[in-house]
Amino acid sequence: MKTILAVDDSATMREMVAFVLESAGYRVIEAEDGAQGLDRATSTSVDLVITDQNMPNMDGLTLVRSLRELRDYKNTPILLLTTESSDSMKAQGRAAGATGWLVKPFDPATLLEVVGKVLR
Amino acid sequence: MTQQQIATRETPNVKEAAQATDLLRTVASTLNERLAVTADELARSQDLLREASEELMTAFRGAADRIVAAQKIAAPASSENTEFGLVLDHLYRAVQHIQSHDLVNQLIDAQKQRVGKMREKLEQALSIAHPEMSNPATPEQWIERSRAMLDCIVAGIAQIDEEARLPGSDKQRQGSVDLF
Repeated sequence: MKTILAVDDSATMREMVAFVLESAGYRVIEAEDGAQGLDRATSTSVDLVITDQNMPNMDGLTLVRSLRELRDYKNTPILLLTTESSDSMKAQGRAAGATGWLVKPFDPATLLEVVGKVLR
Repeated sequence: MTQQQIATRETPNVKEAAQATDLLRTVASTLNERLAVTADELARSQDLLREASEELMTAFRGAADRIVAAQKIAAPASSENTEFGLVLDHLYRAVQHIQSHDLVNQLIDAQKQRVGKMREKLEQALSIAHPEMSNPATPEQWIERSRAMLDCIVAGIAQIDEEARLPGSDKQRQGSVDLF
């Protein structure tokens, strides 16, 4: 079973992401911000990270950069799931090493399709 | 026009300068009162939204837990399982609306912060023109006081502008996906 780390400071968003992914057979672990996400990723083996951008303590792009510095996460897919939708932010995400960018609110079927694609 | 008339027009007397400061104080005070009402309305809207969201979440969790449990015991190719899949589709639709509730809640939070920051600056401006403070003796001192009040108000507006320029979500791009 693939393990997915969902990082978001909104408990509701984490719950929605977890519900959709778990209903499709994935195991989901959660973190409230980038710092906690980094901590979870280093203590557990994770197959995919889905992170929000604007969070206290550590934002999503910083989390992406921090994960890419770790040997275990050089090639792990990382998706940004955020309300930010500007081209400049997406470019920053790409430069940081993110695999993809999804704009909230997400469509569950689309999320499952993207997750399936990046985990293949 | 006599020299005296020119001097009067170019240099306001103490009374005129004091009136200008008083006008500024009235504007700041009125704006602050209006923003207090806005802040109160935002807080009430948020309370109502939170209450509705909590009820929605409780209903959602109840349905989600039951469908997941039922799916586990149903045979994979059974008609029951097909039915569960249809129910799951309805829950997926609810997922999108619940997210919208959450995002609106966050937007209200941001608006409350903006209003709060503007009110702080207005209160700062009003404290400069506090009646207990000794009144200036010269027009220049009154003008200086007005300028200090204006600086506070302009700083408050600049804060709002800065936050409004931050990249946000474009409705047309909601739900969009970019794979790099």
